[in-house]
Amino acid sequence: MDPFLVLQLALQGFLMGGVYGLIALGLSLIFGVMKVINFAHGEMMVFAMFLSITLLLWGGLDPYLSLVIVAAVMFGVGYAVQRVFVNRILDLPEAMQVLVLVGLGIIFENGTLMIWGGSDLSPKTSLALSSFRWGPVTVDVPRLIAFILAIVITLLVLLFLKKTNIGKSIRAAADNRYGALIIGVHINRLYGICFGIGAACVGAAGALLVPLMPAKATMGAPYTMISFVIVILGGMGSLIGALIGGLIIGVAESLGTVFLPSSMKQVVSFTIMIVILLFKPQGLFGGRG
Amino acid sequence: MKEDQVKPQGIDRRTFLKTSAVVGAVTAITGFPTIVRSQPKEIVIGSIQPVTGPIPDIGIGMQRTNRMAVDDINARGGIKSLGGAKIKLLLGDHGAKEEVARAEAERFIKDGAVCLVGPFLSGPAMAIATLAEQRNIPFVIDVAAMDAITAKGYKNVFRCFPKTELFMVSIGKFLDQIIQEKKVTIKKIVVSNVGDAFGRSQGAAFIKLVKDKKYPFEIVDHIEYPLGVKDLSAEVAKIKAAKPDVLFPVTRTGDSKLLLRELYKQRVELMGIISPGSPGWYEPEHIRDLDKLAYYVLNNVPWVNPKSPVFQDVNKRFEKMYPGQYLDTNTGWGYVGVQVIADALERAKSTDPAALREALRKTNFKDHPMVGGPVVFDEKGDNINATTALIQVLPDKNLDDRVKVVLPKEFAVAPYVFPWKQLWDRG
Repeated sequence: MDPFLVLQLALQGFLMGGVYGLIALGLSLIFGVMKVINFAHGEMMVFAMFLSITLLLWGGLDPYLSLVIVAAVMFGVGYAVQRVFVNRILDLPEAMQVLVLVGLGIIFENGTLMIWGGSDLSPKTSLALSSFRWGPVTVDVPRLIAFILAIVITLLVLLFLKKTNIGKSIRAAADNRYGALIIGVHINRLYGICFGIGAACVGAAGALLVPLMPAKATMGAPYTMISFVIVILGGMGSLIGALIGGLIIGVAESLGTVFLPSSMKQVVSFTIMIVILLFKPQGLFGGRG
Repeated sequence: MKEDQVKPQGIDRRTFLKTSAVVGAVTAITGFPTIVRSQPKEIVIGSIQPVTGPIPDIGIGMQRTNRMAVDDINARGGIKSLGGAKIKLLLGDHGAKEEVARAEAERFIKDGAVCLVGPFLSGPAMAIATLAEQRNIPFVIDVAAMDAITAKGYKNVFRCFPKTELFMVSIGKFLDQIIQEKKVTIKKIVVSNVGDAFGRSQGAAFIKLVKDKKYPFEIVDHIEYPLGVKDLSAEVAKIKAAKPDVLFPVTRTGDSKLLLRELYKQRVELMGIISPGSPGWYEPEHIRDLDKLAYYVLNNVPWVNPKSPVFQDVNKRFEKMYPGQYLDTNTGWGYVGVQVIADALERAKSTDPAALREALRKTNFKDHPMVGGPVVFDEKGDNINATTALIQVLPDKNLDDRVKVVLPKEFAVAPYVFPWKQLWDRG
């Protein structure tokens, strides 16, 4: 086995894992606070990718710059989705919640298909083809930027939750919904903000992925699945767990191609998920973060 | 006063309606006038393509040309031998799933379809073929290459597109010609393919060809990845480590873009890319998004014949209807599939499945826009004159004119470039 190939694959997987972590962060935050699994998560990310591409094609705005606009728009979308749909199903049985959110996923996917069509869109961006040699390995610049920004955004969200009043209220509501209600927290608005932050995270991740891969309206579902695996691995509701889980899955999938055919690389992620569910069902960081 | 009321004389409104209903029913049952009953106003055909799922772009394009062919046939007076009966096209979507393809086919048969057309993917083609054989309804495959679809000898299945075996015969000839003409020595190659039914079948057939023809080069790696993959960095790292001279990929749209960009970023040196035959390299979005990176890839596909007047006419109208698009291997065969059915209906003079099947078996359809001879089906339903051309994306100011036929000479419009300029040396 070529050690440089292993090193190259580990690096690529690690950098990609940062973006996986950011995608899963939104899912984990929403679950942690509202106990709802957003099955429209991947489709929302794809919607954000197309928003970013539209800003690039129409306004010449690079995805790294349009990231802020896309995240803001997705915050609004997330807030609206929570207030209009999700807020009404919070007390319903889980099976019924799943139906509504899967339905939302279908609406997002088909909406994207109607607006932008079914083709793979991958317009040129300034840094899409940049890479540099670092010793024996090649470092993909857009992947490195995506990794750094993903870590920065994750830390900002953590700081927001720890240091601001709204953040503290969100954590209080996550710990005890009725307790928070009793002490006068505007719980509906708070849940809207929380869902908005989750959507903004996945929106930012979508913009970061534009220089890395072609966007296609129908590509969302696997990202919902991989976020779900990461959240289970890291611990449901744990934000640090989502980040670490993303890094583990990124490296594992990439290194898995050394030993397994590439077409089976998802087997690695799901095997890890099954092992975690068997031996540490609360996840690596379950109950903390 | 009731007794004093005067009843109207003659036939009243209710009696008139009752009588008319009885006369109408008797007319319908006895078949008078017979001319109305023997000439159907519409002939229903079901088109099933992957309009959603991982490759909706191709499915949408193919359904467009299925529909365009129907519109052309109806505009020139429908099926004349059936009194000018118009064709009605039912549009179905299999979403790249076998079970959905079968369900859609079942629905169309229930809705009165006399023939089915589609479905771009080999897996769904197999599912529809089995059902068509059970229900005894002719099924004309416009695009799907896997050999196994027609290997069972189903009597209702007809394929316009070349089967995998024919792709391999052509790529073998082209490869011999390139090595001889360009005097290149290829020592190591990598074969990659997408992991769906077509990709696996095409990849395996190419590997078999290399072994059977005892080419002097070694296959140093064979890489397979799932359909709809969004990251090929690990796979390209493996290709780089294997140090091949030429890469032979079987792709879908999307993965071809990822592959070229990763080859660029990881600076993988190659003599070139030669696809044994697959989509991904000639679509307008690919040419536009990748610009110079898309140049010089050679691809062995049953392409349109640029010299054919039928192609020029159909393509001109297609480009006008769908700006930024042009007729390619899939949309081109999508047009042919429906035209072949209409030609058979014309000769069958009937919509009876047995008559239509017999007419399809005797097909000799010349006026099509693709490379190769007239569409003629063998006993297994394969088009014996289907063939491929080698195409290459070459620099041209007009994005729509960058895909050129380069081999064989009879269809070629430009000389081919091999070895290529490295991806990062293109200015």
